[in-house]
Amino acid sequence: MKKKILLKEQIKKFYEKLRENYNFYGPIEENGNIVFSKILDPEDIILNYYNSKIPPKSVILPQKEILFEYEKKGDEIEIEEPENIEEKNIIFGIRPCDAHSFYLLKNFFEYGEYEDTLFTRKRKNTTLIGIGCNTPRQTCFCTSLGGHPFKKEDMDIFLVDLGEKYLVKSISKKGEEILNQISWLSDATKSDIQKAEKLSKTAEELISTEIDIEKAISILKNNFNHPIWKEISENCIGCGSCAFLCPTCHCFDVIDEEDHYNNRGKRIRIWDTCQFTLYTLETSGHNPRPSKIERCRNRILHKFSYYPSNYDLIGCVGCGRCINWCPANNDLRIILKKINKIDKKEESIVA
Amino acid sequence: MHKENPYIPKITTIKSIISENDVNDIKTFELVFDKSEDYKNFKYIPGQFSELSIFGKGECPIGIASSPTEKDSIKFTIKKMGTVTTAFHNMEVGEKIGIRGPLGNGWPIEQMKGKNIIIIGGGFAFSTLRSLTEFILDEKHRDDYEDLLVIYGNRNPGEVLYKNDIKCWQKRDDIEVILTIDNEAEGWDYKVGYVAPVVKEVGPSPENALVAVCGPPIMIKTTIDVLEELNFKGVQILNSLEMRMKCGIGKCGRCNVGDKYVCIDGPVFSLAELRKLPDEY
Repeated sequence: MKKKILLKEQIKKFYEKLRENYNFYGPIEENGNIVFSKILDPEDIILNYYNSKIPPKSVILPQKEILFEYEKKGDEIEIEEPENIEEKNIIFGIRPCDAHSFYLLKNFFEYGEYEDTLFTRKRKNTTLIGIGCNTPRQTCFCTSLGGHPFKKEDMDIFLVDLGEKYLVKSISKKGEEILNQISWLSDATKSDIQKAEKLSKTAEELISTEIDIEKAISILKNNFNHPIWKEISENCIGCGSCAFLCPTCHCFDVIDEEDHYNNRGKRIRIWDTCQFTLYTLETSGHNPRPSKIERCRNRILHKFSYYPSNYDLIGCVGCGRCINWCPANNDLRIILKKINKIDKKEESIVA
Repeated sequence: MHKENPYIPKITTIKSIISENDVNDIKTFELVFDKSEDYKNFKYIPGQFSELSIFGKGECPIGIASSPTEKDSIKFTIKKMGTVTTAFHNMEVGEKIGIRGPLGNGWPIEQMKGKNIIIIGGGFAFSTLRSLTEFILDEKHRDDYEDLLVIYGNRNPGEVLYKNDIKCWQKRDDIEVILTIDNEAEGWDYKVGYVAPVVKEVGPSPENALVAVCGPPIMIKTTIDVLEELNFKGVQILNSLEMRMKCGIGKCGRCNVGDKYVCIDGPVFSLAELRKLPDEY
């Protein structure tokens, strides 16, 4: 399909067309932060942003999600499936790193004997209309993880901000079907395409961090008892911001909410993190990860060792949120670089 | 057709409740599925577990105490510990329980065929070992396995679970049952002493044998030391791990030991497998 042009003043028209059949989510400003929210007024959409504070995974893996509801009828219990799963969603303005996190999460949730159909069905019903990053943040390092500020493979439709207008390209069949419904898009010119290519190159050059992730993965296979874990966890305050703002973190707690007056209730899952003591604390009082040393280690190893060995994927997209929002200034880039400095000799002493 | 939502439990009804110990904080719940097709689909082996739920209170993972050879119902032995297990202890016959499962790998009953089986348990952690013992003793399976030795230790006579089952086992000649308690007590006719020294005294042979061990960490550790003294290899010693769990299907994240999830890769691991994992359980 030919590349198209969407003028900035046409966003409203674009939104009006698609909202007929989709829940239309996009980046808006809320309390000074960019978040992905259901768009009620297209004027609210902000595409000129670094990245959202809360990752767009929250659209299909919300902080609080109903697994099922139940009603007690006399002695019987009736169970009701959650309702919103078959609704169609569009996530508009998603960045390449976050779109890649959808790919990682899909692989994780469908893996093994038990598919998490709540997630995978929502994923199937969700279309990603993403946009390239003209100006990556200083903390971005997607290029070290196989990503790129203009990577389009994880999206259905890809936009490039050309200033007054967007270059529009369908990536998947799903994306093509949507663009076919919008007859009024004009064709892109050669100079539009050249401008987009130039922007992509400039964006790539703006990412200054370079980390040899494969090296880190191989070192992490052996250094479970290395003193580095004490060092990197020293100033962690265990707040869990890194995990809650991570587009690939998916761990959750399961709790019941009871509505006593109506004999009803729901079982819900809520985001949880290995950075909290309670996450692994057993009823007996035993805790296999009792201090922040074990908990910080688990977070790094989950992403850069367990994820690669179990799913042949890396559990990080290099979005830099955990770096930007850590109240103790812990920096994943520095942690990975420190890991890469562990030499073989040291390994054999502590292993 | 969509695949099923894996978090939705099947409904069962409590058929009977048995208090297992003198202090009455351990009870065995016998559950019957409300729909016969749910029972038919609940095909389990000893050593597997389920996520049990009380609606409005929550869910918890519990090992299956019955053997699949005991028909029409399934049993779970539950100690009163936290929110959900305390709610269990307040339940009565006829009330509804949700169940998801069977989950986990279970004891390797195929690999155990043709072997001498040694079952070593300590205290409350005997439930899936009861399942295994009942399974092997079933007339359809007994010939598949060689000698069966059960060593079961408790703090005092009042803590011994499954007293009626054990009485039946003791009457048979195709199983040897050795009971022990920590300190002497009136009316106790069996052994006195911790499990590990009793295992040493009994001295089972590692020849063509597999051992299943469950119990408190200190008992496991000392028993493994004794078994290694007796020349048992790591692949012959099987343990069932416990970790905090929520989903039971490898998604909620918390029960990992290294890159293994106790819920889907375990809970049964051989000592040889455990030694390849980090010591974080």
